Amino acid sequence: MKSIAFHPRFSILIIGLFCFAGASDSEAEERTRAGLQALYDFSAGGGHWIQDRSGVGQALHLRISKPESVRWGKNSLQLQKPTQIRSVQPAHKLSGSIRRSGEITVEAWIAPANIEQKGPARIVTLSQNIAERNFTLGQEADQYDFRLRTLDTGNNGIPSLRAKKEQASARLTHVVYTRNRAGLARLYLDGKQAAEKTISGAVHNWNGQFRLALGNEFGADRAWLGAYHLVAVYARALLPKEVEAHYRAGPDAKTPQPSLAVSPSPNAKLFTDKIAPLLAEHCIECHDAGTRKGKLDLSRRDAAFAGSSSGEVIVPGNAAESYLLESVITGEMPKDREPLSAAEQAWIQEWIDGGASWPIEEIDPALFVHGGNMGESWTRRLTVSEYIQSVRSAVGVDIAEEARALLPPDLRADGFSNTAYNLNVDLQHVNAYAQLAETIVAKMDVGKFAGRFSKSRRLTDDDMRGLIGKIGKWMLRGPLKPYEVTLYRGLSTTAAAAGGDFKEAVGLIVNAMLQSPRFLYRIENQRGDGTRWPVTEHELASRISYILWGAPPDQLLLKAAESGALFSDFGLDEQIARMLQDPRAIRRSKDFIAEWLHLDRLNNLQPNAEKFPNWEHQLAIDMRQETLAYFEDIVWKQKRPLHNLFDAQFTYATPKLAAHYNLPAIEKEIPLARYDLSKQPGRGGLITHGSVLTVGGDEASMVSRGLFILHDLLRGVVKDPPPCVDTTPVPSRPGLTQRAIAEQRIASAQCGGCHGKFEPLAFGLEKFDGVGAYRETDEHGNELRDDGEILFPGAAKTASYHSSEQLMRILADSERLRESLTWKLTQFAIGRPLVFADAEAVDKIHQKAQKNGGTYQSLITEIIKSEFVQTTLTEADQ
Amino acid sequence: MKATHISRRAMLKGLGSVTIGLPFLEEMLSAKTLAGQAEVPIRAFNVFFGLGIPAPLQTEGFDNVLEPLKPLRRKLLIMRNIDQIRCDESGINAHFDGASGAFTAEPPDGEAKAGGPSIDQVIRKHYHPDGLPAGMVPTLIGGTFFRRSRVSRYVHSYNEDGTVAAAMQEKPRELFDRVFGAIEIGSGNSETRQKRLKRSVLDSVMEQYKHYVGANSPLGAASKSRLADHLDRIRELERRAYGMPEHTIGAPPLPPRSKLAHGGQADPGGEGIDMKLDDLTHEWRLMAELYALAVKMDRARFGSLTFLAAGERLRITGDYFYQDRKVYTFDDASQLNATGSQGCSHEWWHQFRENKPNQALRAHAHMKMREVAYFLNLLDEPESLEANGRSILENSLITISTESGDGRHSNVKRELSGVFHAVTGANGRFKTGQIMDVPAEGIDVYNTMLTTMGAADKKLGPINREHQSIDRIRA
Repeated sequence: MKSIAFHPRFSILIIGLFCFAGASDSEAEERTRAGLQALYDFSAGGGHWIQDRSGVGQALHLRISKPESVRWGKNSLQLQKPTQIRSVQPAHKLSGSIRRSGEITVEAWIAPANIEQKGPARIVTLSQNIAERNFTLGQEADQYDFRLRTLDTGNNGIPSLRAKKEQASARLTHVVYTRNRAGLARLYLDGKQAAEKTISGAVHNWNGQFRLALGNEFGADRAWLGAYHLVAVYARALLPKEVEAHYRAGPDAKTPQPSLAVSPSPNAKLFTDKIAPLLAEHCIECHDAGTRKGKLDLSRRDAAFAGSSSGEVIVPGNAAESYLLESVITGEMPKDREPLSAAEQAWIQEWIDGGASWPIEEIDPALFVHGGNMGESWTRRLTVSEYIQSVRSAVGVDIAEEARALLPPDLRADGFSNTAYNLNVDLQHVNAYAQLAETIVAKMDVGKFAGRFSKSRRLTDDDMRGLIGKIGKWMLRGPLKPYEVTLYRGLSTTAAAAGGDFKEAVGLIVNAMLQSPRFLYRIENQRGDGTRWPVTEHELASRISYILWGAPPDQLLLKAAESGALFSDFGLDEQIARMLQDPRAIRRSKDFIAEWLHLDRLNNLQPNAEKFPNWEHQLAIDMRQETLAYFEDIVWKQKRPLHNLFDAQFTYATPKLAAHYNLPAIEKEIPLARYDLSKQPGRGGLITHGSVLTVGGDEASMVSRGLFILHDLLRGVVKDPPPCVDTTPVPSRPGLTQRAIAEQRIASAQCGGCHGKFEPLAFGLEKFDGVGAYRETDEHGNELRDDGEILFPGAAKTASYHSSEQLMRILADSERLRESLTWKLTQFAIGRPLVFADAEAVDKIHQKAQKNGGTYQSLITEIIKSEFVQTTLTEADQ
Repeated sequence: MKATHISRRAMLKGLGSVTIGLPFLEEMLSAKTLAGQAEVPIRAFNVFFGLGIPAPLQTEGFDNVLEPLKPLRRKLLIMRNIDQIRCDESGINAHFDGASGAFTAEPPDGEAKAGGPSIDQVIRKHYHPDGLPAGMVPTLIGGTFFRRSRVSRYVHSYNEDGTVAAAMQEKPRELFDRVFGAIEIGSGNSETRQKRLKRSVLDSVMEQYKHYVGANSPLGAASKSRLADHLDRIRELERRAYGMPEHTIGAPPLPPRSKLAHGGQADPGGEGIDMKLDDLTHEWRLMAELYALAVKMDRARFGSLTFLAAGERLRITGDYFYQDRKVYTFDDASQLNATGSQGCSHEWWHQFRENKPNQALRAHAHMKMREVAYFLNLLDEPESLEANGRSILENSLITISTESGDGRHSNVKRELSGVFHAVTGANGRFKTGQIMDVPAEGIDVYNTMLTTMGAADKKLGPINREHQSIDRIRA
């Protein structure tokens, strides 16, 4: 087992999850099986069958039609007379996988019998007859030729990609054809590129009923004679270096079998699936690097095996001798908490007895809040905001007011209100969707809308089906299946049967589409074999547009998707750059910050009128404006790194808010003015905004503010207080500040273990009162402080600060906070909380984005390029 | 196959113990009472069946495809040699042209209109210029059909401007609801119509959710459960917004939910659908019974009923019996050795040749006559006897129409010539008890009928055409 290091914190052993989308550098040095679909090595030495040895899906064996026409050799088969070697069944797995991926590689080690055979003579073909094929590798005299059927080529796959003359000869040759989703097709001979061409168009039109054959065409005489040594088909375009490696490896090189792929040991899997979540849930609260009760740190591998002040706690292979197991069985641990269940105790025993594999360096409890695995994939219902944008884009109607009145608000879960598992649906939704659909249609100029797609206003079958197909593709964000066209066609006939006209028929169709699951949800394929599959072009377009805009794709994005451009780095970059110029991208980014900081909370802010007699609700609105304007300035005007949100020395304020903050008056009073804070004591950075400070409530609670910073900014985890603990806030009084109260809690043996992790994070904010105003003393005349120490989650040592300005700088410079920004934006983009299984991919996003400046733009770009957006982790059919 | 027969008696008995959503009982009873005291009311209905009976087969009397009409022969006038060729619309086939022309004398006007009014509507307007009595369904249109690309394939009752005279009720529950579930205020039905259309939208939405929770869903388990929740909520909405009357002991049976394909699913782009004979006839007979009940209860006096659309495409399977005699085993796709549209019974009409046995076509046409006769019989039962001693069937003008006289599209004249027509006696106004060689154009036959019905103030077809009275059909 070899290890790869991508980040110290997430350095883990390879978990052999096969990534369909690409191959790593190391794979290029040997025959790869990434994307392999069929493999014929002709090693049988005799018989009538050629075995598919790919080990992928249902084997696609080939039968030799005329055994007397062939001669077996060592790992080869010589076709001496015309015959055909073909699959008995349709090659579903080839057609299906290549249709999904949009990529293909056909590889052959062959020795042609001569350079006169033409037709082209069929070397490898997935076809039906002389004129209909999905692909064919052929020989046309001294040239190799490859035909590929796409939406832009004919059914015969013409124009083909053909190598130059005199490149085919009667010798053993390595012939490889690759074509990626962007349409770039390449032909390699003996590891070197011999031809290149763009073959545009998707391969959705591939026929799943075609069979695979070697040596001849179905139902026609296009015989190829010569020797086969290896034939392989991939649903992926091999990289040039992989092709070269295959050539170097030679025709007899073995392809790793699936069983040989690196996979975690059962004991390591037990650790990541059960033990790490268990330790995170029950132990690390007191036994992490910062707390180390009993001098035991169970959050890090080395420290855990080093043991506690009493000695070893984990003895690999011997649970009976391990104090860890003993302490949980006796109930000694977890201290003052519920004991572990019998099942949990059994897992610990099994894990230790099995060798106590610990494949990660550190357990970050934030990764195990949901158990470490992604769990089930939920299709995403449009949020209210996305629904409004989708309607506006689809039919040009502004339905915001009605939608917000009728649709239930989306509820927050895991910090965001677009969390897919929580986007449930009730009668109120269904009723609202039906009512809104009617209202939308009533607001539309249906005739004009239909005119965008077709000039015909006839209700005849062909015309209506054509129109439905076009409207549906636009409104439902992808082409309709025939059954869907039929379904909507039924509505138009029903309208006609009731005496309705063209407009009424189209209105009913639009009405139904607005209630379709394909409109209200982001329907994608989720079924497969349990591995990651590349998304389709329309799925990708929707993912990108909803991430960047919170709205459906526009025509340009759809065009880029359908042309394959979206699958090239250049094309993807071009689209992202274009879309980031659109005002919708700014609006969407503000949705993110508003969700992350829960700015909607301000709508309900009602400070105690006696304590804050000058408070008025407008201030809450102004605070929201401040944060959004500040965010826009840094992210969009200055395009600064996102972490600068925490220490930038300026802000925006309305005159009223400026007075509330006691900011110096500016010459000209404008609704929302930019203020330089470089000389303003205390204030500067996102956390010093009233919108954030008010999380502390009227008493400016250290607990609430500290927990906010720990949970929402630093992804720290602390458990709820144990039962029977009095959590009534203690008010300050003369001689006793909130900080002093907090320090008492931290010093307490019962509370300090947890409170020490988050309350000090808020010490630097004590000079801001419950509604965000700056003061040097509290209402009792107590002098306030803003110095303290901060302990980042997972860290062993604290960092000291002497002022709130310094606290902000420490936060902004913190890798933990920068990572958290990546995690939060990624979570918002993909609509689900992130877990341990996501750690590697998120870290890749983070590293690349930081390398590119750490801006919102760089981060969102890397999210789009990540496996989270480019692929779907499918569910294997039972 | 045995359908549940809904009788007027059972209906009235049931009404004593249940209110089917509304106070129509009194209205209905008084209408019936009036009918018993006064002259029988003027009624005009059309019964349509798809794909026709080729003209040569109409010459075989009641011994072949017309056999099921034989028991009713004394109450029918079967007219041969009626042509519709003026209804041919250039560039398209005769299925919906011929269907539109039957008893309107006009080709269709586009996809959603006929070229003019249907005969039942002209009569309705004449006798009820200010609308029908309150509580009646002004026009009742229903049917069991699947191909739906053009209205004239399946609707056969049209207003003066050619628009459909009422919304088509294509499921038993829809027909039930239309007749017994709502009181019409005057002749306006826009609210009901809108409700029906909304329900169609809801049905289509439900179908989409069903797809995503079904076996072919692309979604994973969690997502499917989310959409299943959504589907449940839609069903709840449906129950609340469009709740059907509850079935109570002693009440007439609320028709079961239709199990056949409807809406867009019924017509996947003209490709046809698979259909078991028993399923088809079961639903049709339920429709026929409900429609007949509406007539017997005097809830409907005008309208049309369709058994299979013009140019219908079904791949029918099942043993066909007539009076305990096995007539044929339907298995269209296998017998045609084809799939999709080419495997449908429609093809038997295309393959019709006078000098061939045309066995499959004959069996299909025979089956259609059996089902048409099923409906007609319902209006001829003892409980359908009226004050004048005749049955509703005899007292009404019931036109029986179809689309073409031959299934071969290569020759319009042949295709739209000799189209099968039949009428009932309309309380002694028309001759019955014979198969009559007319021969004439439909337009002249229809206008003669209007004159005979006393509704000659409106002529069907082009105004400036010189009318030729076909007196031989008059009693």
